[in-house]
Amino acid sequence: MKIIETHELTKEFNGLVAVDKVTFSVERGEIFGFLGPNGAGKTTTIKMLTTLLLPTSGTAYISGFDVVREAAQVRRRIGLVPQRIVLEGDLTARENLLFHGMLYGLSRRDIEAKIPELLELVGLKERADSKVRTFSGGMKRRLELVKVLLHEPEVIFLDEPTVGLDPQTRRKIWEYIQILNRERGVTIFLTTHYMEEADYLCNRICIIDHGKILDIDTPQRLKDKIGEGDIIEMEVSGKGEKFAQALEKECGCQIKKMEENRITITARRGEYALKEIFFLADKLGVEVTSISVREPTLEDVFIHYTGRGIREELVPGSGMMKYLTRRLKQ
Amino acid sequence: MSFLRELYVVFWKEMLLWINNPMLPVVRALVFPMMWIVIFGSAFGGEVNHIPLAVVLSDTSELSIEYLNALNIGTTLDIKNTNLATAQKMLKNRKVYGILYIPEDFSKKLAAGEKVSVVLSLDETTPQISSAIVAHVTSATQSFSKNIALAENRVVVEKNTLFGRGIEYLDYLAPGVVMMTILFSALFSGGLNLIIDREFGTLTMLMVSPVSRDAIILGKIFAGVLQSITSGVVALAVAMLMGVHLKSGAAGFLLMVLLMFIAGFGFIGMSTAIGTRISELEQLMVVMMVLLMPMWFLSGGFYPIESMPDWMRPLAIVNPMTYATDAARSIMIRGIIWETLALDLVVITTFAVAMFLIGSYSFKKTLGGVK
Repeated sequence: MKIIETHELTKEFNGLVAVDKVTFSVERGEIFGFLGPNGAGKTTTIKMLTTLLLPTSGTAYISGFDVVREAAQVRRRIGLVPQRIVLEGDLTARENLLFHGMLYGLSRRDIEAKIPELLELVGLKERADSKVRTFSGGMKRRLELVKVLLHEPEVIFLDEPTVGLDPQTRRKIWEYIQILNRERGVTIFLTTHYMEEADYLCNRICIIDHGKILDIDTPQRLKDKIGEGDIIEMEVSGKGEKFAQALEKECGCQIKKMEENRITITARRGEYALKEIFFLADKLGVEVTSISVREPTLEDVFIHYTGRGIREELVPGSGMMKYLTRRLKQ
Repeated sequence: MSFLRELYVVFWKEMLLWINNPMLPVVRALVFPMMWIVIFGSAFGGEVNHIPLAVVLSDTSELSIEYLNALNIGTTLDIKNTNLATAQKMLKNRKVYGILYIPEDFSKKLAAGEKVSVVLSLDETTPQISSAIVAHVTSATQSFSKNIALAENRVVVEKNTLFGRGIEYLDYLAPGVVMMTILFSALFSGGLNLIIDREFGTLTMLMVSPVSRDAIILGKIFAGVLQSITSGVVALAVAMLMGVHLKSGAAGFLLMVLLMFIAGFGFIGMSTAIGTRISELEQLMVVMMVLLMPMWFLSGGFYPIESMPDWMRPLAIVNPMTYATDAARSIMIRGIIWETLALDLVVITTFAVAMFLIGSYSFKKTLGGVK
């Protein structure tokens, strides 16, 4: 049985479709990522899967239980780490864990027995009796991660787990997420708008934009789909267009983008293509003023699907959507 | 940038914020001042009038009738002419604030040139009212004597207080302050708590757990009620340390706690209902000023309702705080007299049940998600 299964899951807010007929499934033990810009419908999907929001239509099952009709069963089997930290700042780490465990019907003694081990897992053992308000952002995230382990959920939902953290802390959190997944065998469903994060952590990635799924696959295969090989970006002066055509014809490169005198191409084994490129440039009397070779990233995949980068946050409607969801929550 | 320029930029941004959010500045700049002027200008310190007083005429001679007419002059008193048994019942049911007893030998003694005493039995719970009654009866007696050309001091008003000792303003004020403590504490642990919970997302933690939705609501409400009672008891203890006395001892104390529990339930329900409709702390402050301050000041907690102008009295009558305060005052000064407490307790309990239902219903509705 798949741990998460949805069929045409949809959420509308006053006629605005936030999540549009989303169908996907997640295997047990996977780290599965929802990658998309802000306002793509990631958080809305998580809210429906964790019983916090009623779907407008479609179905979703967690471990075989319907998220609407069998919400209580679902709640027992999931853990959620929301985007915003929801620890009680005035309680200590230990008290936060105690409260959480008791919410899930665990006995005080059982919880107390688990606490040292869990805090050890994320390097917070020494801070067990400090008030959470004194913790740094990264420490709070770590505490949240183990907090949801307390009731031994089958799947953990992480909504933008590293948003607002510095690069080192982010890396640390990634390691902890991998530890949870590997050592505890917990399935992890995460949303992110950081490409590197999805690439580094996820076994499979679902690219989502404007509430619609664009593709679901492993990071490698997603990158392969946009054309095999490396990405070469260069700036030229002179007959750029003619040069590009020649590149396509004679070097077997693919033109990805042409903007005035900036050319982006893909080429198999980019390092070796450089020689041919310079040779051709000389022949045509074109000067290459700068050039770079890199492996394709998920950013390129996203641009491939949507024609724009994931970080461009001028998505029309996303602000409106946030406003609406806020209004609706009230 | 010069200091003035910097000052201007900061000032300008604040003013822009003030204007951009129309509801708050309008309320703050217009409603508040008007409200305060009206409340402070009218609710306090006005002369008490239309105070119901029972007069028992055991003697129905012409002289007694004339005395009664003298009492009837002016708007201070609403005289209810009745027999002694009814008058005593009315006093217990809070229909009148006192009884003026005119003895059978009133006219006989006056005719014989003797001194005669009329007995004024007062419910002195509200000191402003009892002193107004005394003043009015005294001056009416004097003008009656003058009218029929009697020597002064032939008619003596004999005062008889019902609850033992002279009641001071502090005794009058303390029950209102105890109830106000409950009201404000309920606001903080009801509405404010809810808004903070939502603001910081801590409600999500509960919502995603298998705990039943009813348990979430009830758990929060009960915690709020207990917190309110705690501060109410502290306020009561401080008042008692300052010399306010509590009639009926331990039983009175327990009844006070029960009253705090009922009122706390009502106020928490009310503030929860408000909290679910409001998303920002600043708005809550406005609601607090617009709703809670008048609830407090128009409850008869500081000054008797009888001193309010006629158009304002209905506000006090629909104000649940009026009944909570009055019940607390009755328990603390009069002691446990069920006939006296009945109306207050019925009103406050009805209010509590209604507000609890409304509060928990709207809480449940805003929780959203799957039930």
